[in-house]
Amino acid sequence: MVSERLSTGISELDQVLFGGFPTNTLNIIMGAPGTGKTILAEQITFANSSPQSPALYLTTLSEPLEKFISHGQTYAFFDPSKVAESVFYEDLGLIVRERGIAALPDIVTEMLIARRPRLIVIDSFKALMELIEESPEQRTVLFDLASVLGAYQCTSFIVGEYTEEMMADLPEFAVADAILSLLKHATGVREHRFLKIEKLRGSQSLPGMHAFAIRDSGIEVFPRLLTPQTSPDYDLDVERVSTGIKGLDDMVAKGFWRGSTTLVAGPNGSGKTVIGLHFIREGILRNEPGVYVGFQENPVQLARIITNFGWDSAAMFRDENFEHMYRSPVEMQLDNVATELMRRVRGGKIKRVVIDALGDLRKSSSDEQRFSEFMYALTQWFAVQNVTCLMTFGLHYGVQGQDVSDEEISNLSDNIVLLRFQQGPEVKRAVRIIKTRGSTHDHREQIIDISNKGMRITPR
Amino acid sequence: MADPVTRNPLLEEEQGRALILVVERNPVVQRLERFFLEQAGYSVEFASDGIAALAHARELNPRIVVTEVLVPLLDGLSLCRALKSDPETRSIVVLVFSHLHAKDRATEAGADAFLLKPFEEQHLIETVAKLLQLTIKETGA
Repeated sequence: MVSERLSTGISELDQVLFGGFPTNTLNIIMGAPGTGKTILAEQITFANSSPQSPALYLTTLSEPLEKFISHGQTYAFFDPSKVAESVFYEDLGLIVRERGIAALPDIVTEMLIARRPRLIVIDSFKALMELIEESPEQRTVLFDLASVLGAYQCTSFIVGEYTEEMMADLPEFAVADAILSLLKHATGVREHRFLKIEKLRGSQSLPGMHAFAIRDSGIEVFPRLLTPQTSPDYDLDVERVSTGIKGLDDMVAKGFWRGSTTLVAGPNGSGKTVIGLHFIREGILRNEPGVYVGFQENPVQLARIITNFGWDSAAMFRDENFEHMYRSPVEMQLDNVATELMRRVRGGKIKRVVIDALGDLRKSSSDEQRFSEFMYALTQWFAVQNVTCLMTFGLHYGVQGQDVSDEEISNLSDNIVLLRFQQGPEVKRAVRIIKTRGSTHDHREQIIDISNKGMRITPR
Repeated sequence: MADPVTRNPLLEEEQGRALILVVERNPVVQRLERFFLEQAGYSVEFASDGIAALAHARELNPRIVVTEVLVPLLDGLSLCRALKSDPETRSIVVLVFSHLHAKDRATEAGADAFLLKPFEEQHLIETVAKLLQLTIKETGA
């Protein structure tokens, strides 16, 4: 039987928890200092409080109550008008210091009677327990407290600076129904935040580490992308999608299959972005809305390129069939980009996606294997959504090289278009189709011409 | 709460030191507030929760009640409403002094002024002095 769920107020975290935390349970939010435990606990508290369903937030000995209020108010989810109306803060640490730790279950009972909360947070519970760390009372107090919270109909969260090693030893982990841990991980100068569901009694959750960010609005979660359960519908293989470049379409039997992923690889200046722009523009003309995900050209720079081809960039940016999703590669995060992109695609109208360039996205990942799995899941998801995707990929060679040697990257795509510079007295750009999945293609290399009218491929 | 045997707030009020009732849970903050308010020439009494504050206000009739919103049993805004709705305590000036951005709610509750923490003694003393001046003008005291 599926238990009733308490939404966290963060839809993507609810997705990770398969709907939220089961109600009337005791849950732990754990992590090192500065990982965002209190922000998450407060966000859940404010999302779930109303005069009919009040919340009790008990601060202890980790930080003074005033700090919780002052810091909490810097986030958009913190509604000061709810405080003392439906969110009740109490300094439990102060009362416990006066009455002793053994009185903790009584103190909490009195508060439950006074406030009748449906949600209760104890932050930090670990700091409270440390008061009696060496004492045999700890287990009794915890047992009594768990009994009180279990007997009363409310969903409880205990917050603490626990480490993974403590999970096996501390009694609170034995009684907890769900355990959510927050982690910080640094790669170079970048810092990545992840959350993980360590335990969710009686329920499934989305496995693995899920990236999250702390914004002015609060915590934003980017669930780890998994391969979709549903397979792409191969009946889709009846429709071709034009790239907007006639010569290129002709090389792959009038365009790529709808729902397929195409990798356009080549060195700098070989025309990868130009093909991407043609592909998106063709979508606009055919009423097939598209998202152009770019990590190098900001909107001004992209508009300049578009204008250079004699296309009306202002009209293109205004067109409802065109979305430009620009992310600076400096602070970009893989999951963040995917979540935003998927949110746009889920809107239902997007038919085409260009990712320019895959290398930037790859650099933003802290783990190569994770990147490959992620991209596989993303392209599979596009296929299920009937979205045709074109990804560019920069190759680090000059005029000599001609293959995509990166197996991980090439395996991600149904089709591979290779661009290169041809040797000779005059450097020429050339295109060759290396691979098309489930289709025939022209094996010959063709010459590309890029002018102020865009790209042209002249068959020979 | 100060020892009632050694201190007589009513007597201090008679001696020209305006009595201020401060509602504050945290003893550390209480100490700070006592120091600065007494140094400014006021007599100070404390209550650690809203219910005790209401009783003290009725008993001591202070000139000003300075209250945090986040106090146990009866929050500062409810205390303010209770004071302002009781004819016996209606004339007591209420200053809501809180970490919580609650200026509008304090005004709605009938508070005479609102100050946002953190504690800045000069600002608090000036506000208390201004409020006392107002009460003197209004009552002719």
